[in-house]
Amino acid sequence: MSQYGTGALVENTSQGHGRANSPIVSFENVSKHYGSLKAVDGLNLELAAGQTVALLGPNGAGKSTSLDMLLALRKPTKGTIRMFGQDPYHAVKSGRVGAMLQSGGLMPEVTVRELVTLVTGFHPNPEPVDLTMKRAGVAGFADQRVDKLSGGQTQRVRFALAICGKSELIVLDEPTVAMDVETRRLFWASMKDEVAQGRTLLFATHYLEEADQAADRILVINRGRLLADGTPAEIKARAGAKRISFRLDNIDEPFLLGLPALVNVEIRNDVVQIQSDDSDRTLYALLDAGYRPRELEVGSLGLEQAFIAITEEDDRANGGTK
Amino acid sequence: MNGTLSLAKAEIIRLRRNKRYLLFTLALPVLLYMAFGRSTGRGYGVDFKAFYMVGMATLGGFSGVLTGNAQRISQEMKDGWIRQLRITPLPANAYVVSKILAALTSAIPVVLVVLLLGRFYGGVHLAAWQWIAVAVTIWFGSTIFAALAVAIGYKFQPDQVQALSVLLYLGFAFLGGLYFPLGGAWQKVGDALPTYAVVKISTDVIEGASVPAGLAIGLVIWLAVFAGLATLAVRSSAETL
Repeated sequence: MSQYGTGALVENTSQGHGRANSPIVSFENVSKHYGSLKAVDGLNLELAAGQTVALLGPNGAGKSTSLDMLLALRKPTKGTIRMFGQDPYHAVKSGRVGAMLQSGGLMPEVTVRELVTLVTGFHPNPEPVDLTMKRAGVAGFADQRVDKLSGGQTQRVRFALAICGKSELIVLDEPTVAMDVETRRLFWASMKDEVAQGRTLLFATHYLEEADQAADRILVINRGRLLADGTPAEIKARAGAKRISFRLDNIDEPFLLGLPALVNVEIRNDVVQIQSDDSDRTLYALLDAGYRPRELEVGSLGLEQAFIAITEEDDRANGGTK
Repeated sequence: MNGTLSLAKAEIIRLRRNKRYLLFTLALPVLLYMAFGRSTGRGYGVDFKAFYMVGMATLGGFSGVLTGNAQRISQEMKDGWIRQLRITPLPANAYVVSKILAALTSAIPVVLVVLLLGRFYGGVHLAAWQWIAVAVTIWFGSTIFAALAVAIGYKFQPDQVQALSVLLYLGFAFLGGLYFPLGGAWQKVGDALPTYAVVKISTDVIEGASVPAGLAIGLVIWLAVFAGLATLAVRSSAETL
């Protein structure tokens, strides 16, 4: 059961992620405590140039706090964060990172174009304003006042402000949270263009399908700690890899719980759902005992189930309250 | 610095677009002066029309700087605009600096308009150096309130700021003797206020009397106090923005 606890899983990951170059972002044993609450608790991670990395976790997992510290909005209680070999404040002021925060607001009483032009002017290496507005999909309402926009439009303006400089790293905290499905699709399409230009992207999300589709590396965090680090496929594979479901009469619960390689069992009437590390062993043991289950299905866990399994395992290991 | 200046410019553009701001800072003192500026009588040793010119110019200057900025800063803190600016390459102090620059600039028109009104509507006649001394005193005395606005805006929620800035506005305006010269016990309170110092320095200049050094020093002390409060408020908010 402990195979996706903290240590082992995190350790054998970062290989194959372009370790040759020095990392552009590193967290070294970073913690942020608010009184007795450990919002971030000993976080270690490194990002290499060109990656698209999703920071995935439930609400309150420490995603925003981690990004706030990376962007020099908060100071770690312990540990060191480096970005482009600098401390976060100077890295942000050098214009090498563009960011979009969940809690970032906009200046009212000016038009979208005025605002994008203003913030573009802050950058040492600005992108052309018209290009930024086109990429962010705000050109259509460029002359509207910022305080008269819809939630989705506001979010796109924030995105425009994140990409208006030639930044090497883009940091996005829950970027699509106020967007409808269509806007979200457009957003990720334009995001892919940014990444294709060699930019590194770090985004926090609790939308699993988003992490699955957009990221080539997923960091799962819960309770301020890194629980898993790998490609979407690796994360899925690590979380009690397989799902077995079947119908069975006269269920013998203690027997089912004693099956080998078992991670989790759910029984509802005559329907049994099993998560297993090794579906073959689990299934053969069941058959060897003389059971003949009906409507047998064996499949992979989706990312969502993998994610739930990983975080639940962590919650159980930590005494359970969520 | 360029970024800070362009932010200050944007702040001024925003102020110009804000009708409520224009109404209270520009229209109110102008209308009051039109209504009462030609009254006879005296205030603080000069003709009422000269006293009232000084009072209304100060009222317009300091009220715009104080109430407009405090409210906006508080709202922009709540909305996350200050956070947004902090993740741009703009230096950390740029927001406060640009607010103060915008305040220094935006206080100029109302001071000039009311002084012109005093000259051509009220019939106040002064030597050129007196006009300049009065204008600079009122302008400087008004703009020290930018620091107080920063302190309040960073420290309090928008709805609290609303109430607080009205209270401060009324206190500094009435007790400072901007609407009418005070007397008796009230004057004792008013003596200590920066708004009173502005009016008294100006009327002394108009009267041709020597300006007591204590008044000028008092203004500088108020500036130091406001700036200190602003620094504390900004520092203490660094982690909670």
